[in-house]
Amino acid sequence: MTEPGQYSIPKGGVMISPKESSILLNREPRFEDTFCSLQAIPRLPKGMLKETKDAIAYAKKFNDEVIRPLALDIDRQTYADPEYLPWDLVKKVNEWGFYTMFIPRLFGGQGINMPASSYVVEELASACVGIANVVGVHYLGVIGVMGSWNSALTNKIFRDVAEGQRTGNPCLISLAITEPGAGTDVEEVELIDKGRVSCYAQKVKGGYIVNGSKVFISMGHVSTWCCLIAYTDLKKPSDNTITFAVKTGTKGFSFGKHEDKMGQRCCPASELIFEDCFISDENVLSNSKEIPPSKTRNVREIVEQYIQYAVGVTRPAVGAFGTGVARGAYETALKFASETEVDGKLLINHEWAQIMLADMYKNVVIGRLSYIEANYSNGLPGGIYDILQMKPMYYYLKYVPKVFLDLFVSPFLKLKFMNRIFFKLYVDGQSVEEQRRCSGWSSLAKVVGTDMGMKNCQMALELMGQAGLRHENGAEKIMRDAKLLQIYEGTNQLNRINLFANLIGRSIPQAKAFEE
Amino acid sequence: MLATIKCELKSFEDLAHSFAAKELTVNREENDRYPFGPFFDATLAKAYEVGLLGTILPEECGGIGQGMNALCIILDNLSAADASLGGIIFTNALSQEIILSAGCKDLLTGITGQATDAPSSLIACQSFCNAAEIKTQLMAVKNKDSYILNGTAEYVVLGGLAGHALVPAHIKEQEGYSFFLIDLKGKGITKSEPVFSLGLHSCPAVDVKLTEVKGTIIGRETEGSKYFDQASDRMHAAVAAMQCGIMKGSFQEALSYSQERLQGGWEIINWSGLRMLLAQMAMHVKIAEMVVSEAALAVEQHEPEWNICTRAAALHLSELACKLTTDGIQILGGYGYMKDYGQEKRFRDAKQVQALLGLAPMRKLGLISAIVKK
Ligand SMILES: Cc1cc2nc3c(=O)[nH]c(=O)nc-3n(C[C@H](O)[C@H](O)[C@H](O)COP(=O)(O)OP(=O)(O)OC[C@H]3O[C@@H](n4cnc5c(N)ncnc54)[C@H](O)[C@@H]3O)c2cc1C
Repeated sequence: MTEPGQYSIPKGGVMISPKESSILLNREPRFEDTFCSLQAIPRLPKGMLKETKDAIAYAKKFNDEVIRPLALDIDRQTYADPEYLPWDLVKKVNEWGFYTMFIPRLFGGQGINMPASSYVVEELASACVGIANVVGVHYLGVIGVMGSWNSALTNKIFRDVAEGQRTGNPCLISLAITEPGAGTDVEEVELIDKGRVSCYAQKVKGGYIVNGSKVFISMGHVSTWCCLIAYTDLKKPSDNTITFAVKTGTKGFSFGKHEDKMGQRCCPASELIFEDCFISDENVLSNSKEIPPSKTRNVREIVEQYIQYAVGVTRPAVGAFGTGVARGAYETALKFASETEVDGKLLINHEWAQIMLADMYKNVVIGRLSYIEANYSNGLPGGIYDILQMKPMYYYLKYVPKVFLDLFVSPFLKLKFMNRIFFKLYVDGQSVEEQRRCSGWSSLAKVVGTDMGMKNCQMALELMGQAGLRHENGAEKIMRDAKLLQIYEGTNQLNRINLFANLIGRSIPQAKAFEE
Repeated sequence: MLATIKCELKSFEDLAHSFAAKELTVNREENDRYPFGPFFDATLAKAYEVGLLGTILPEECGGIGQGMNALCIILDNLSAADASLGGIIFTNALSQEIILSAGCKDLLTGITGQATDAPSSLIACQSFCNAAEIKTQLMAVKNKDSYILNGTAEYVVLGGLAGHALVPAHIKEQEGYSFFLIDLKGKGITKSEPVFSLGLHSCPAVDVKLTEVKGTIIGRETEGSKYFDQASDRMHAAVAAMQCGIMKGSFQEALSYSQERLQGGWEIINWSGLRMLLAQMAMHVKIAEMVVSEAALAVEQHEPEWNICTRAAALHLSELACKLTTDGIQILGGYGYMKDYGQEKRFRDAKQVQALLGLAPMRKLGLISAIVKK
């Protein structure tokens, strides 16, 4: 007989108490970290499915009508004209509404659920990951802005984006973290104090004077807003991080060169130069010096949490880019194999080629499963999507008339206490374990997706031989484009160490990451 | 290279090494812009003057008559700086080897004798293709003592600049294919714009359309595949040498960068995670050096199964080089992805070189056919 409060395993009849069960499930690998989808799916509002399907279909149409006809031509154009910037492309993307697609309706956007953005970018990346970045990098900026929990400024900037779509003058947001002397170091709070950061913000009356430069900033030249990370004390940046929203054209803010890259050439990587650039207090998104006291974290940990929230969304998205690339390479190889005779018969009828294609197919699926699971992790309690995906919240934001949001809800966003609410929800509302789950999964998804992308590119070119080398056949471009994915959003090595720290080392007290 | 450095070959090593440093490294980025920038004519001319283009051509044909050892040493050293010139030398040597295995020395003597400059001394060919695998789209019809060729030849490497080209064509109602030498300056030749490809930008290819073009048969009818295989057996050693050079270049760049770049408060070479990548690269470079010397030696000494050695060497080093050069970028982080350090170029070149002499998986399978045949 099972006593009240106890469960028995149906067949064995061995008793197990809820307490014991919870201890067992908390052992590594912990149930909560391992089966994200199983826990997340029952909580999801049904509407998300249809919305996601519609978004994917829309992306496919965009591939057919815009990306595929343009991708190779634009790539070629960037060689002929090293000064090329993708203004026309940005206009097209803007017309199609991609820049507001995933901005919450509360802030004037279309409010398609954020996780759907990764399915969309996989789709776009399968046709051209460079163009997928022209769409997707903007959301790096969106996340950078939103993650500050500064509702007033977020509302202002996002409404600029929406206005840009309405008027046909695209308004994009870039995110500027990387500096010439600090790449990996600024991705990780554990490292930043040892690094050589140089972007200095000095407090003056009414604002800050910023000096320094940023490099490799995707879409810098063609963005209207820049979410800029700077430091109020270069000796101890981890405690002195400040985030600004700076508009292109601000005095003292200019662009240097844009890089001559191996791939993703339609998506510029810009140098940003700040020379005595005055940024007013109004444009401070967040300042670690003004972070209110929190029960769960000190200032440095809150900065870390801010970064982790952001990369928790963007790294799975890069995993999705990688998956898209893996798919693009696979689809190109498959088409070639189906049409080309080698040694007297179609390549696709050579058994070895079938095995290779099966491997490529498998790599796509593995990449996808990884980023999907990371998305689900973000939808569990403590994840960034959790609140937005709660059924009442989801349907409220989806169906309440836009005018109502604009007239009655939006004004509240300007009030300071809203920041406090967001802060409570997102800073104190996330346990350290939950943060680790999201962070670890996002790194895993990034590494897996991008490694699979590269693997499939290598295989596609092996399969295609001479034909794969020619620009017009597309395969070689996919490979050039793909390599970047293993580098940005934290190199794949950094992400492996982050995975170790968050999903492995956390339960081994003597384990230390980023210290040698 | 290790074992093969004999006294007389040391001079080739020195020559190639200093040539690479003086002519290739400095202009690497600029040269890589072709076809969107100028072609490195002057460099090619110098390579011709110092004899780099005729290493394995017998002396009686106007070359320097060296063996595979010397060619490998040269390709290895050049490719460490920029593999494009290596690709030119390789392609020309492949044409020469095919012609030699068909016993047509005189043709080579003629071309070398009449050549006035680098381009006119070169013989283009489809060095990325094994015509036995992919059906040739050229047809040849016998016409008295010569042949008339019609159709297209894709991806003829050096076709845009060389004086002559070696092309495979099918003769009606005959099995297999035969090789023909054509004059690229002659009538009936239409060349495409340079093909824009992944790597080896300064070793360009064009598609060539032939309309009623006169061709000289190389060796006997239908024996193209035999000559190609014989030449290919030897030239696989040269592929291995190019990959070895590319790997060395990538490793050296990564090694020096990692000793300068600071992250986390010290030079990144101190992070054991990064050091492990470097260690892997060092290991593969050393393996590559050993493999190339052995393969070249096997050719020279006609060791048993020497052709399996060369093929295995090329296939294996190509795989290693493709892996190593991506780590070569990775170690430089974002900078590795930019044109500035040559790492991205090495990555592209390695992948391009892997495709020399035909589809890599087919060449792998060919190993077993060769072993079983014996
Ligand atoms: C095309 C492109 C677009 C980009 N877009 C943006 C953008 O929009 N916004 C932005 O802010 N940044 C952007 N970046 C920057 C990108 O995030 C950085 O390049 C990346 O974080 C790596 O930094 P780094 O290039 O300085 O390399 P480094 O940090 O110098 O790394 C060099 C090597 O050292 C290794 N390494 C460093 N530290 C460690 C360690 N502790 N342990 C082990 N190995 C280590 C790295 O893994 C790497 O292999 C972009 C980069 C590129 C190339």
